[in-house]
Amino acid sequence: MRPSNVILFLKHTFTELWKRPGTKWAVGLLNVLAFFAVITAYGQLREQQETVNDYRQEVRERWESNPDKHPHRMAHYGYVAFRQPYPLSFFDRGVDSYVGNAVFLEAHRQNTVNFSAASLSTGLLRFGELSGALVLQALLPLLIFFWGFSIVAGEREDGKLRLVFAQGATWPEVILGKAAGLFSAALLVSLPTLFLTGVLLFFAAGESFASLSRFGLLLLSYGVYLSLICLLTVWVSAVRKTAKTALLALIGCWLLFVLVLPKVSQVAGQLLYPSPSKIAFDRMVEEEILKQGDSHNPDDPYFKHLKDSVLAVHQVSSTKDLPFNYGGFIMREGEKLSTLTFRDHERRLLARYEQQHDIVQRTALFNPYVAIKYVSMALAGTDFRAYRAFKDQAESYRYELAQTMNELQMEYIGNNIKTSADKRAVLDRSHWHDFPDFAPTPLPFTDSFRAAGLALFSLCLWFVGLTALALFLRRPTSVI
Amino acid sequence: MLVAQNLTKKYGTSTALQSLDLRVNPGEVFCLLGANGAGKTTTINLFMGFIQPTAGLVEINGIDVTKKAAETKRHLAYIPENLNLYQNLTGLENLRFFTGLANVALNDTTATDLLDSVGLQVGAINRRVSTYSKGMRQKVGIAIAKAKRADNLLLDEPTSGLDPQASNDFAGLIQDMRDDGVAVLMATHDLFRAKETGTHIGIMRAGVLVHTLATKDISLNELERLYLDTFRTVELTGR
Repeated sequence: MRPSNVILFLKHTFTELWKRPGTKWAVGLLNVLAFFAVITAYGQLREQQETVNDYRQEVRERWESNPDKHPHRMAHYGYVAFRQPYPLSFFDRGVDSYVGNAVFLEAHRQNTVNFSAASLSTGLLRFGELSGALVLQALLPLLIFFWGFSIVAGEREDGKLRLVFAQGATWPEVILGKAAGLFSAALLVSLPTLFLTGVLLFFAAGESFASLSRFGLLLLSYGVYLSLICLLTVWVSAVRKTAKTALLALIGCWLLFVLVLPKVSQVAGQLLYPSPSKIAFDRMVEEEILKQGDSHNPDDPYFKHLKDSVLAVHQVSSTKDLPFNYGGFIMREGEKLSTLTFRDHERRLLARYEQQHDIVQRTALFNPYVAIKYVSMALAGTDFRAYRAFKDQAESYRYELAQTMNELQMEYIGNNIKTSADKRAVLDRSHWHDFPDFAPTPLPFTDSFRAAGLALFSLCLWFVGLTALALFLRRPTSVI
Repeated sequence: MLVAQNLTKKYGTSTALQSLDLRVNPGEVFCLLGANGAGKTTTINLFMGFIQPTAGLVEINGIDVTKKAAETKRHLAYIPENLNLYQNLTGLENLRFFTGLANVALNDTTATDLLDSVGLQVGAINRRVSTYSKGMRQKVGIAIAKAKRADNLLLDEPTSGLDPQASNDFAGLIQDMRDDGVAVLMATHDLFRAKETGTHIGIMRAGVLVHTLATKDISLNELERLYLDTFRTVELTGR
């Protein structure tokens, strides 16, 4: 194979595509779409960032401005945790619009994360959102297929391929060179979109190393994805007898990759690994907690046994003689028990979600579209894992808040106080100041990288496989 | 030099070419005449390496085409019957692309001179090929073939559809190449051009080369009679 011929095919294919009627319109239209999607989403991101910051500040101020009161009242006063979107989420919205943005954190209860964009909008969002990622993942490949379906098959039909081979070109040169030419044309759409994304990311995140790493890998992944789409296009065009059948095959690939396989794998995941509804899950957790013990019921056997053992350890006959507030102690143990139960159920539910998710993710091996989708969402921080990271941190914070209030009660409230109206039942407001603000940390880059591992591997496998086909198969089909 | 020995091509039970023996030496123009389906294009395709022979040997400058097809292309230029070029590119851009594939780098001046030398009007050189007539496209094809400076030239009905003037110009260019020592194998239906341009003529019928003769030994009328007699035999015998 002569590299000079590959370069010649690259330049020639690009020039020929550029001069084709309609190319400039198609490129312009996709750029407009991508720019519109990216700029709109960026505006929404900044607005959401500001809203989250404002509300977060307000929640903190309100928490701190609470007067002296009983700590358990503060545990029920609660806190609101807001999900801060990742800087790159404006490029790929992933599941962001469908998962909640804020959760009310209080003692004894694990509330649902609410106020998703989908829940606050008309049902139109269900039709899907336009994003820079969607343009590059689904629309640009469609354009590449239309550009390239006849790139070899059409030349075979009209006899140009004979002249090409008569001049000494070989199949690897033809396939790699034309794929490179298609790729260079695809850059006319992908480069401006990714460049704009990079510039806006700089404004959204500054010179954050994590964001730059995410963006760098994102660039590389889209490069590999678009390259393999170009290779696939040229390959299909080379192995099909006519341009018409090549077009049908490529459109079939697009439908299979973008619509059929993702839906089928999703349904298969739900059928193979069914998950309970929200109501069923809540009921299961509640029943389990009640079975273990009810801290609010003085006759509950579990807590009665606990009380007896505590009295025995401290060698006292009444809870009033304990060196700490018994109510706070019971609350602390109850919280521990209910949280452990909830987490155990949640762990099983999430494992079930993971199984469903794995079915879809494994199709990335057969479907480059699913592969880039997973990689892109993971790097943009809009996949389910990033959402879970927020949810887990919010739950940890809730638990910490409840237990801190319980411990304050144990430490500072006497056992002989009968009502919370008693002046000795309230704590100084400085304690509220001392409890730290909720500051969720984004999922580290390495975690996102790991999450995208299989999908990244699939992309590389597709790329290497198609390149190997181009390099090592001398005669994919006839020249004539 | 182009050599075929006992060259046979079969598609299943149908024989497209049967035991062809052929030699075209440098400075010779061998014209293959025959009706449609006589095996002319099959012969060209075998020399091009586009199809594999069922039996026999096919060589270009002593190199076996079936074993080293890519290498033989260096010694070979080709002009098909219907030369399709890239419609959205100019004649100049097409010429530079195709010659580039053969590792022949042409600058704008050389390429323009070459197109001029094959008779393409200067005004057309930088026009899109979509505005070209068939004759103009064939001229670009000749320029591509000339630029390669190959020792052998394969032509598959190159004058089909050309007007008499363009056909005459084309014949002149073939003669020039012959004079430069190029071995030319041309499949054609055109008896007049074959007699005028060729040094040797072969008449093919149903995949078999039935007559081989030197053009100097036969007049156009005799050639026409021989040709018609060959195919009248087909009509009478059914083969």
